[in-house]
Amino acid sequence: MSRYRHWPIAALRSWSARRHGRDLLPLIVDRRRIYILPSGAGLAFAALVAVMSIAALNYASNLGLAFAFLLAGIGLVGMHHCHRNLLGLHVDADAEADGFAGAPLYRRCTLANESALDRHDIEIRCAAAGATISLPAGAARALQLPLTESRRGIRHYRHFELRTRFPFGWFRAWTYVQAPLTAYVAPRPVGSRRPPAAAAARSMAEAANRDLAGDADFAGLRPYAPGMALKHMAWKVLARGGEAAVQSYAGAAGEPQWLDWDCLGGLPAEERLSQLCLWVVDSDAQRRPYGLRLPGREIAPAAGALHRRACLRALAAFEDGAERGISRRPS
Amino acid sequence: MSGARPRTLARRAAAAAPRLPLERLAWAAACLALALVALAATLPGWILITIAAAAAIRLGAAARGGDAPPAAPRAIVAVFAIGALLVQFHTVNGLAAGTALLALTGGLKLLETRTRRDLYVIILIVYFLCLAALLAGESFWLLAYLLGVCWLTTAAALHLAALPGGPAARASLRYAARAIGYAAPIALALWLFFPRFAGPLWRLGGEARGASSGLGDTLSPGDIDDLAMSDDIAFRVRFLGAAPPRRDLYWRGPVLDDFDGRTWRRDDRSAMAAPPALAGGATYRYRVSLEPYPHRWIYALDWPLKSTLAGAFLSGDDVLMRRLPMTGPVDVVASSRMPLLAQPILGAGARRRDSALPAGSNPRTRNLAEALRRAHPADLSLIEAVLAMFHREAFFYTLTPPPLGRNSIDEFLFDTKRGFCGHYASAFAVLMRAAGIPARVVTGYLDGTFNPYADYWIVRQSDAHAWDEVWIDGRGWLRVDPTAAIAPQRIDPGLREGSLAGGSLALALRRDAPWFADLTLRIDALRLLWRERVLRYDRGAQFALLARLRIGAPDSQKLLFALAAAMALCFAWLSWQLRRALAPRRRRDALTRNFEILAAKLAAVGLVRRPPEGAEAYAERVAAARPDLAATVTRLCRQYSALRYGRERERAAAARGLAGFREAVRAFRPKKSRGS
Repeated sequence: MSRYRHWPIAALRSWSARRHGRDLLPLIVDRRRIYILPSGAGLAFAALVAVMSIAALNYASNLGLAFAFLLAGIGLVGMHHCHRNLLGLHVDADAEADGFAGAPLYRRCTLANESALDRHDIEIRCAAAGATISLPAGAARALQLPLTESRRGIRHYRHFELRTRFPFGWFRAWTYVQAPLTAYVAPRPVGSRRPPAAAAARSMAEAANRDLAGDADFAGLRPYAPGMALKHMAWKVLARGGEAAVQSYAGAAGEPQWLDWDCLGGLPAEERLSQLCLWVVDSDAQRRPYGLRLPGREIAPAAGALHRRACLRALAAFEDGAERGISRRPS
Repeated sequence: MSGARPRTLARRAAAAAPRLPLERLAWAAACLALALVALAATLPGWILITIAAAAAIRLGAAARGGDAPPAAPRAIVAVFAIGALLVQFHTVNGLAAGTALLALTGGLKLLETRTRRDLYVIILIVYFLCLAALLAGESFWLLAYLLGVCWLTTAAALHLAALPGGPAARASLRYAARAIGYAAPIALALWLFFPRFAGPLWRLGGEARGASSGLGDTLSPGDIDDLAMSDDIAFRVRFLGAAPPRRDLYWRGPVLDDFDGRTWRRDDRSAMAAPPALAGGATYRYRVSLEPYPHRWIYALDWPLKSTLAGAFLSGDDVLMRRLPMTGPVDVVASSRMPLLAQPILGAGARRRDSALPAGSNPRTRNLAEALRRAHPADLSLIEAVLAMFHREAFFYTLTPPPLGRNSIDEFLFDTKRGFCGHYASAFAVLMRAAGIPARVVTGYLDGTFNPYADYWIVRQSDAHAWDEVWIDGRGWLRVDPTAAIAPQRIDPGLREGSLAGGSLALALRRDAPWFADLTLRIDALRLLWRERVLRYDRGAQFALLARLRIGAPDSQKLLFALAAAMALCFAWLSWQLRRALAPRRRRDALTRNFEILAAKLAAVGLVRRPPEGAEAYAERVAAARPDLAATVTRLCRQYSALRYGRERERAAAARGLAGFREAVRAFRPKKSRGS
């Protein structure tokens, strides 16, 4: 892929970005945004056809000339088909992605082939992540592009690319889709699996009680928020015309737990964030409501997927004065 | 150090690359093998064996999951093979040596193939081998076969380029066939209009291609008898304009002047340019398409005047000559005149040569000639008398004459009296010379088979003939065909029917099955058309084509313009095909069609409708993105919804509503937003 980092390609890309502006998704790939150049193999093939034509002309061999010209025709048809392999493709992609540092972060892209032609070997590439698919006529496919980020933070990807070398590998056609992606890279969830220290002793005792008494002491109703487990929905209350509410259990989701930056004193900032991240993940997995406290930011206790995402994004975006001084260790 | 590092990295990457699967290697090997089949006759055997061994070793290794053999043994094999090639050809220049080198490179490349790039190289070599085969051959079937190889090779290129899980072998073949179908019009346009050179840019060592047997420059008893059994075609002739009567179709070949008592030989001194002929009778123009033979003369209608062939001239004995022997099929447009009158006076040297007889040979023939001379003082009546003798006496025309001894003419004239045209021509010339009349033997072909399907004559080796020319003072050379004087009842019945009892199967079939003769003629007509229209398509034919396209004053520049126009047409056709395939025609009602037009106009400014999106949701999204369009789009989408999903009463007015909707959609022209 180093070939694509050569400056002419980079210049072309920025020119293309200026020319097309930001793309609204979904889009249909039109001929103005498809670029096509011969590949190395294609240049070798063109040289071969030229030498063959000259040899045939020199020998006044009409059959040889016909053969050489047929190859030239096949090359031109190959160019046409390479271009057509992208033309009219419907492209859609997510504008946001969530993930953890050091683990794949998936960007969802959807390609749809509305034409009556099969399309083959289309590579979709966003930074270093790539995937190749073939689309039969009328098919649509969603793919997850595995972006890998080693460091926590918010990353912006300005564009992604669709490429193809179909059919003969003699040409490569590509197009830039100027659709930005914001990737929220949460810290690597590592650290102690033990709950936050402030609540540690109590929760150990509770855990012992819970083990004896069995699961789930009903503790009352709490208002429903999106993302809460439907399993705990108070359906009867809802059926009576009441508010949507969830049953709250003392054992599993007793009183909300605060995941607090300040209770991790003594650790470097990144390690604190990693520990908080692990707690968020664990709490969510155990369906316990939790809140997150960061310097200058507080997220009220709740549960569910949206809450988890909000917390992880807060961890990804976290930036304070003390933290800036920390050198990030590349891995 | 820094230079060495990327190399080690590259090597490591190559080692880490997955091994080529057997299937891909087998594709490449199959393409190489099929291309070599077309060249098998011209390549030395050891090269084919080397390539086969290389392919076997590499495919065997791949079948066991192995890789290419190590570099050292490969290098040794390559050095030995190239060395052997140099020993055999002394050069790598020239078609034969170049082809051999290329084939060898292909085989050795297969041996060392590790990556996909190596396979690409093999595919390019296969393409070039196909071309080499075409440069050396001209048959339609060869082209058809090599197009087949090209198809398979293109499918292989497709298959190699595809990623794992790409199109299967069958799909590749189908796709390659379609690509060739699309490429055919482009190739045709290029072929028709690409300007041809007048002559070669450079010459590589020319080798005689498939020189077949035919008439030689000597004539001994029994020579032409062998030819008469041959079904091979010597040449084809198409008359451009009027054709002479069939009895005058004498195709003049080498003229033989020197006689040693048994064999007639061509005298090289006569091969000097002739003084221009003075006057003559009817003139005929024709094109002779000759099959190759290793001689300098060109068969032409008796008597030739001139030809269009560069470097050809008319020799002193009125034979059309080239400066160099033929190396391949040649096509000549020539003209002839018959009878050729008022020739110059026979020089003393030529008269001496054409009256000479070896001393002491054929005494009985000399006696006969002297007796005839006494009875017929006039030259013409002497000739008449000899021809009458052949007719009257028991002379037989047969392909199986008894063998003749030293005084061959004596034995033939007085003892065996059985012979073929060579015997009669030879005996007649000796009689004339013995009687003091200059005479010479002319060899060539007589008559031919007319092909009514394309109006031309096929002259076969079995039409080979020998006749005489005698010099009559005041008239010049006069053609005399003594064979024609033989009484019809004494001609071998098989010969009289124009063919032979003991001939080949094709000859027998042609004689016994009229439909087969007919079929042969039809096929041969195609063959000549192929040769005239395709193989000999040259600059002149290109200009003729331009003239037929009503392009005046054709030249190379106009050819290029025509080429550009034809290519533009081809690309327009390709694009039209593409457009048709990209937008499949679906049956839709007028309302949907107009709504799709609206969606397309919005898509053009970057607002593509998501497939499941309803009209109203789409309008909302458009309104959010482009407030300037909001009012119009919302109104149009509401209108669409009403027309599509509205109640009976609303739909009753649909015809009018639809017309209004259509007008509004037509009038809607969204501008592209800048810098969004």
